[in-house]
Amino acid sequence: MATESREREGFGHVSRTVGVVFRYLLLAATLFGIVALTVLLIYVANDAIQPLTADPGWHLTFFVTLVVPTVAVGGYLLRTDPASFKFGGGVVGALAVSTMFAGGAAMIFVDIVQPVTWFGYVLALAVALAGVVAMERFDRQLPFLVRSVVAGAVAVLSLWLVPGLVRSLPVYPTDGLLLTASLGTPVALLVGRYAAAAAGKRGTALAVLGGVALVGVGSYAGPLIGVDPVPATVLLSVAVLPTGGYAVGTVRRHTERRPGLAFAGVILGGAVVGAVAVDALGFTGPQSWVDWGFLTSAHSGTAADAGLYPAIGGSILLMVTVAALSFPLGVGAAVYLEEYAPDNRFTRFIGINISNLAGVPSVVYGLLGLGVFVTYLGQPTGTVLIGGATLALLILPIVIISAREALRSVPDEMRQASYGIGATRWQTIKNVVLPRAFPGILTGTILALGRAIGETAPLIMIGAPNVLFSLPTEFSSKVSAMPLQVYAWASLFASDPFYRAAVPAGVVVLLVVLLSMNSIAIVLRNKYQNDQ
Amino acid sequence: MTETSANGSTTRRRLLAAVGSAGVIGMAGCTQSGGGDGDGDGGDGLSGTIDIAGSSTVFPVATAMAERFESEHSGVDINIQSTGSGGGFANHFCPGRTDFNNASRPIQSEEEETCSGNGVTPVELTVATDALTVVVNNEADWVDCMTTDELARLWSAEDPPTMWSEVNADWPDQELELYGPTDASGTYDYFIESILGEEGPGHRQDYSATEQDRTIIQGVEGSEGAIGYLGFAYYSQNTDRVKAVGIDDGDGCVEPSLGTARTGEYTPLSRPLFTYPKQGSLSEDHVAEFARFWLENSTSEEIIADEVGYVPLSDDAQSEAMERLETAIENAQG
Repeated sequence: MATESREREGFGHVSRTVGVVFRYLLLAATLFGIVALTVLLIYVANDAIQPLTADPGWHLTFFVTLVVPTVAVGGYLLRTDPASFKFGGGVVGALAVSTMFAGGAAMIFVDIVQPVTWFGYVLALAVALAGVVAMERFDRQLPFLVRSVVAGAVAVLSLWLVPGLVRSLPVYPTDGLLLTASLGTPVALLVGRYAAAAAGKRGTALAVLGGVALVGVGSYAGPLIGVDPVPATVLLSVAVLPTGGYAVGTVRRHTERRPGLAFAGVILGGAVVGAVAVDALGFTGPQSWVDWGFLTSAHSGTAADAGLYPAIGGSILLMVTVAALSFPLGVGAAVYLEEYAPDNRFTRFIGINISNLAGVPSVVYGLLGLGVFVTYLGQPTGTVLIGGATLALLILPIVIISAREALRSVPDEMRQASYGIGATRWQTIKNVVLPRAFPGILTGTILALGRAIGETAPLIMIGAPNVLFSLPTEFSSKVSAMPLQVYAWASLFASDPFYRAAVPAGVVVLLVVLLSMNSIAIVLRNKYQNDQ
Repeated sequence: MTETSANGSTTRRRLLAAVGSAGVIGMAGCTQSGGGDGDGDGGDGLSGTIDIAGSSTVFPVATAMAERFESEHSGVDINIQSTGSGGGFANHFCPGRTDFNNASRPIQSEEEETCSGNGVTPVELTVATDALTVVVNNEADWVDCMTTDELARLWSAEDPPTMWSEVNADWPDQELELYGPTDASGTYDYFIESILGEEGPGHRQDYSATEQDRTIIQGVEGSEGAIGYLGFAYYSQNTDRVKAVGIDDGDGCVEPSLGTARTGEYTPLSRPLFTYPKQGSLSEDHVAEFARFWLENSTSEEIIADEVGYVPLSDDAQSEAMERLETAIENAQG
């Protein structure tokens, strides 16, 4: 006893004040950025959407039909059944994000790629794929060289011949049916397998057929409710079908999560009921600048008529180009550096330089693009291809670094086990490492694309036009992008109406796109971590 | 056996015919006629792209014209980039990358040489008149008017003043804060030419230089001793934020306005604005048609004065420019 108390005395008094102060200073530092950003976002969103201009009855109606039931059902589920709550929220979120993507895709099919052209290329790919599969079935003993040459020849021939052949037909199916076959069917094949869960071959086939039928019928039903066949088909294939498939598949796998569907139904139903109710009661909504006209019209000298359509389309095309260029290059480099390259001074030097390149200011990449593509290669300025290539260079280091991170997180034991059962290095990478690292790679790539979509400086450097009035239709068309259009409004049309209407609306659209891309990345990452 | 098969085949034939005809009728709803390349979205057959670069001063005029032209001819794609007059000539127009170059000053002889070296023939068209405006803070009650000499003294690189009182003893001991466009801007060149003189001491460099007229307005608005100059268009949209100074060129004070600029009273700070189509591009119908459209509307009060804030062309100036354009189109197409 005595010794114990003496020891206690030995500690003396330690002041906790410093620790407490330090802790709250850190809290303040954390909150500072978040609060500042929130204030800015609320400010911009308020300018763009102007929620206060709506009829009080409008707010009340939606409060009653949407907010109250959502909070009640959601709160109850969150306490009793968190898994269902998450599932229901996931369904609604998936529908919202995929609807946005469907909007972008519909834009492409309405204005850029004719459905028949798309159909031709999909058919060509299918033919090539069928050829390769048939060859594999026919003879597995063919040497690698022969196989790759034949496969390459089939692919090139089919891509070269089939699209032209399809286009030259005197009569072909309607756009809706073409898209049902070339967009709805591949999606249905993917989704149907998930939705059918363990229902066997017959069930899967039925699910796929059901999906295709839904899209096909939709292409005829759409015009009845005022949606053109092409957007209707795209919306069903890209938004409704995957969300439905996700909902059905998950419920079939985890029956206990069924209440989540009710939760999703309450939210969606509440929104629809609210919309119908305010229409019937004659309550006017907010005088939002982000409206259908803003999303579908081009720039105008009067701020109220100005729209973002060509810039949205330009951003989509740029992202497609950037993804197509940076993903294979970046992942390829990462796989080489992680899996093949020896660890020596040279590869470490490369690694350090890639990290440095990731921090190089974007203006420098713009200059690089201008110098290499425009001055040296003599390409025209400001085209989709040049813009996409420059942005791809910009995010390439980020893609490489994040892909390396993902590859490094695959446990070495898995590689050793694979070697242990006699797999070659190529088989190990193909069958073990890449599938395991893929969600991580995808997350990194999406976040990098999110950076590219917000870039302005490189596009200015390569001479992208400040204003254009129609969507770019080919890779050699001039391109604008959302941040560039917002910048043009803020700088070249510096007047109050533009500051109050067009600029905040553009910022809100840009942020919504960016946040939904990031949300996809976050969902992928969480899923990946859970699986681990 | 043969009998039944014969019976079977007739019914089968009938069935096939019935199914076939039903199928054809059904198919009619599922097909469209193909083969066309779908190029006919221009309505009146005009289609193609027009690339425009150049002066940020002319940019709002060009976009206003393009917007109206596009609404009539949806098959024509017009891209407009704001690069500054000189940048547009050097990097875009003379290398043959654009069809039009906007300029807030006439093309220089070196630029013309570069252009002709690449086989590009510029056609000079006057499209509007700009009035350059000197602005001060709303609180600066000591100055409503200044002479061109005072203005030159304020902005001169030689012995640059730091106090208002150094230029005019009636002005207070207020520190000067200067805002102006960068040396890449046509407005800067024009200011040197008209106020400081080409052979003069040159433009002082210790001022806040920006390509954005908005920043000039912001800077002048925020400081009592500030002075800046910028195009009349931007001033006219912000008349309540800053105060325009009248200019005395020896014949008394003249306030900058659309009226005084058009009559030529507001000297020396009003200037013509140009666009330079490439003669080679005028051989294409959609380019020629756009150039015509632009000139036809260059007398419009609604577009040039109300929307953009410049001074529209007089009828004489318009017909002169039109004549020049038609000659160029004939040369190009003939």
